[in-house]
Amino acid sequence: MDKFFTGLSGFSIVLLTAALLIVLVPMLLKGGSAVFFKGTVEFRKMQADIFNRGDDAALKNEKERTRRAREFIYDSIETFKNGIDPAALSEKVRQINRQFGEQLKDKGIEGEDYQSLRSIARELRDKLIEAFESNDRNLINENIKFVFSYKQDNRLANSGMKEMFAIAEKFSRAIENVDFQKRDRYAQSLGEIEEIVTQLLGPKPGEPVPVLAMARYGATRWEQAEKLKEQLLYPVRWVGGKPGEPLVAEKYSRQEEFKGTAIEPLFGYVDKELSNMLEPRRTFYWQFFIDDSINSHYFGGVGPEILGTLLLTIVAMIFVIPLGVISAAYLVECSTENLAVKIIRMCINTLAGVPSIVFGLFGLAFFVLYLLPLFGAPSKGNILAASLTLAVLTLPLMIRASEEALRAVPHTYKEASLALGAGHFRTFIKVTLPAAMPGILTGIILSLGRVAGETAPILFTGTAAVASIPKSLFDATRTLSYGSYDMAVGDRIAAMVPHQQYGMVVTLILLVLILNTAAILLRWKISKKLRGH
Amino acid sequence: MTTEENDMQTQPAGKAKGGASPFIRLDEGKLQPKRKVDMNSIAVVKSENFNFYYGSKVGVKNITMDIYPCSVTAIIGPSGCGKSTFIRSINRINDLIPHGRAEGKLFVNGHNVYEKNTNLIRLRQQTGMVFQRPNPFPKSIFDNVAYGPRLQGIRDNSELQRIVEESLRAAALWDEVRDDLKNSAFALSGGQQQRLCIARALATRPNILLMDEPCSALDPTATGKIEDLIDQLQKDYTIVIVTHNMQQAARVSQRTAFFCLGELVEYDLTSKIFSNPAKKRTEDYVTGRFG
Repeated sequence: MDKFFTGLSGFSIVLLTAALLIVLVPMLLKGGSAVFFKGTVEFRKMQADIFNRGDDAALKNEKERTRRAREFIYDSIETFKNGIDPAALSEKVRQINRQFGEQLKDKGIEGEDYQSLRSIARELRDKLIEAFESNDRNLINENIKFVFSYKQDNRLANSGMKEMFAIAEKFSRAIENVDFQKRDRYAQSLGEIEEIVTQLLGPKPGEPVPVLAMARYGATRWEQAEKLKEQLLYPVRWVGGKPGEPLVAEKYSRQEEFKGTAIEPLFGYVDKELSNMLEPRRTFYWQFFIDDSINSHYFGGVGPEILGTLLLTIVAMIFVIPLGVISAAYLVECSTENLAVKIIRMCINTLAGVPSIVFGLFGLAFFVLYLLPLFGAPSKGNILAASLTLAVLTLPLMIRASEEALRAVPHTYKEASLALGAGHFRTFIKVTLPAAMPGILTGIILSLGRVAGETAPILFTGTAAVASIPKSLFDATRTLSYGSYDMAVGDRIAAMVPHQQYGMVVTLILLVLILNTAAILLRWKISKKLRGH
Repeated sequence: MTTEENDMQTQPAGKAKGGASPFIRLDEGKLQPKRKVDMNSIAVVKSENFNFYYGSKVGVKNITMDIYPCSVTAIIGPSGCGKSTFIRSINRINDLIPHGRAEGKLFVNGHNVYEKNTNLIRLRQQTGMVFQRPNPFPKSIFDNVAYGPRLQGIRDNSELQRIVEESLRAAALWDEVRDDLKNSAFALSGGQQQRLCIARALATRPNILLMDEPCSALDPTATGKIEDLIDQLQKDYTIVIVTHNMQQAARVSQRTAFFCLGELVEYDLTSKIFSNPAKKRTEDYVTGRFG
């Protein structure tokens, strides 16, 4: 029987450890990747622009190197686009035609000359547009030929119209290998390619800088870049099975799709040269713990979240420790065991089991909407209300732990103190309370963990997903727990930056661990002193 | 407190802040109450028909006895006979017991302590108590002894130091701990801890010392030291000691009270109780025939 129990307890320990590892290890790995990861040149650009960090000279060199490595991508896209995108080409040609008319007016050409040049330009335009939109190779060749017949005309060649000829030339080269049957598909696929390239490398050089910071940079992290590369080279399409059966995802090679076209070499180039385009490097981004976040955590760190969590915890503790100890002292020292005390104790035990969301609603109704406005505070969520709600939530825990601790103080200490002429209050302050301190600290440790990690009670009482760094206790704040929750529920960005979410969770765990370690050390020191070593 | 000018004999120390020492130094290391009490004057502790009940259960009943100053009075009796109840009633530490109730009169230094206006703090300063088990506070040796004086408002460090040294000397502990005053009291041995508790009780300058089986948790050597100490202290203090050990009672006390089933059976000079008791029950007990 003994062996059986030993085995059973050993087994349960193994099981617990395994469960802990299964839960914690992936979380720690993913969260750790918020701080340790391979950052690309885009990451360093972002750090330099937004946070003013990094080596400017080195970054300049990197920028130059990567720019050169990237040129090929933009060139091949551009070339291919000329043969494939009728709408864009037509628009361009129309624009050139309009500009040509203005140029003529500027030069002072009027009358018949003007009319004839304009009509030639219009005709060229129409022929080209017809060619762009056509799927008939003969028609296209004919039209292009017609356009080129005006190439020698000096009146046109030395004006804005020469761009039109350039376009026509590029177009005729681009369509040489294009299968017209696939033109629509190409157009769609090209759109995807361009989008992925923008995500990968950032906006094309020369384009206006986007307003949103997250759109200004390409893939800042190497694993992001690799994911995008996979999407670029091997996209997924949904293939229908038999009727009534679900569609099946199937990967296909984009290189195969574009075989023979001007864009084909791009895929091989991306596959081989991606690291030259982004220059990934091992990065230790410790500033994650102090940085503000940019664009809902797309970039940046969790500094304000840590600050908010600490603030809430500390303010809640300021309320809960004295209240808890005083209540416990009343229950232990002052009251005899009568009906009222029994009811109080029952209430405390019941409150300890109430779901935290109930406390959240209570906090909203009582602190936010009723109590704090009485003192002139605006009736909106704020740190004070959230801390008070957390304090109420954890008060039963604190009272019970303190009560246990106070009861565990040997009766002889109290007797000795009283026999020396101390009053009850002095005895409590000077003897009972110090002797109960380790137990009370245990209660504080439990409360700390609870307060720092709770989300539901602060949901309505003092947090916001987007809030500036609080300036007073009457501001709302961001917290780690609420941040993790907020990123988990339906935020598009959260799916793109899972490391941020896990980073927040791991930071929360670390924070609670640090606070608890401090309290445990303190407890250890006090109880060592009490034991007399 | 309401009884600032009651008729207790000694004044509490330390109320006169920064004034003269509450102790009169007669000679090296000896403590002496301010007013030397005449051996033949009235009893220091005097109980008249005193009863104590635990709820409906009787603790002690109808105790009438006088305890004389500057002597050792031993209380003996079988377990549960009310010895401890009686000694703990003297400084009213029994008040802590829920549903405890006292009847009758119990005078300490001439004041009925069960009157409503009794100043408990002053009473307990006058009656030092030593418990069954050594119960030093989880503090340093110095802080343990200085606890009482500090309660009385003495803050001056050199003053405290002097009191601590005198008390420790009086408890015959000074030479053993003089260099370790900052160490925890828990680092001491059981016997030393008990002497520390005695020193702690002496530091409030009582004139009565109540000892509730002070040696029951100690080995014979430590017991011997405590008994020697009692012998020395009885010159200056009125000592009441509860003990299970009849040899001890015979060794240290001048008078002995025999309690049985909550009643005081016999109270007389120790020599008489052990050699020629008046009551049959006492004789049975001291000769070991029952109990």
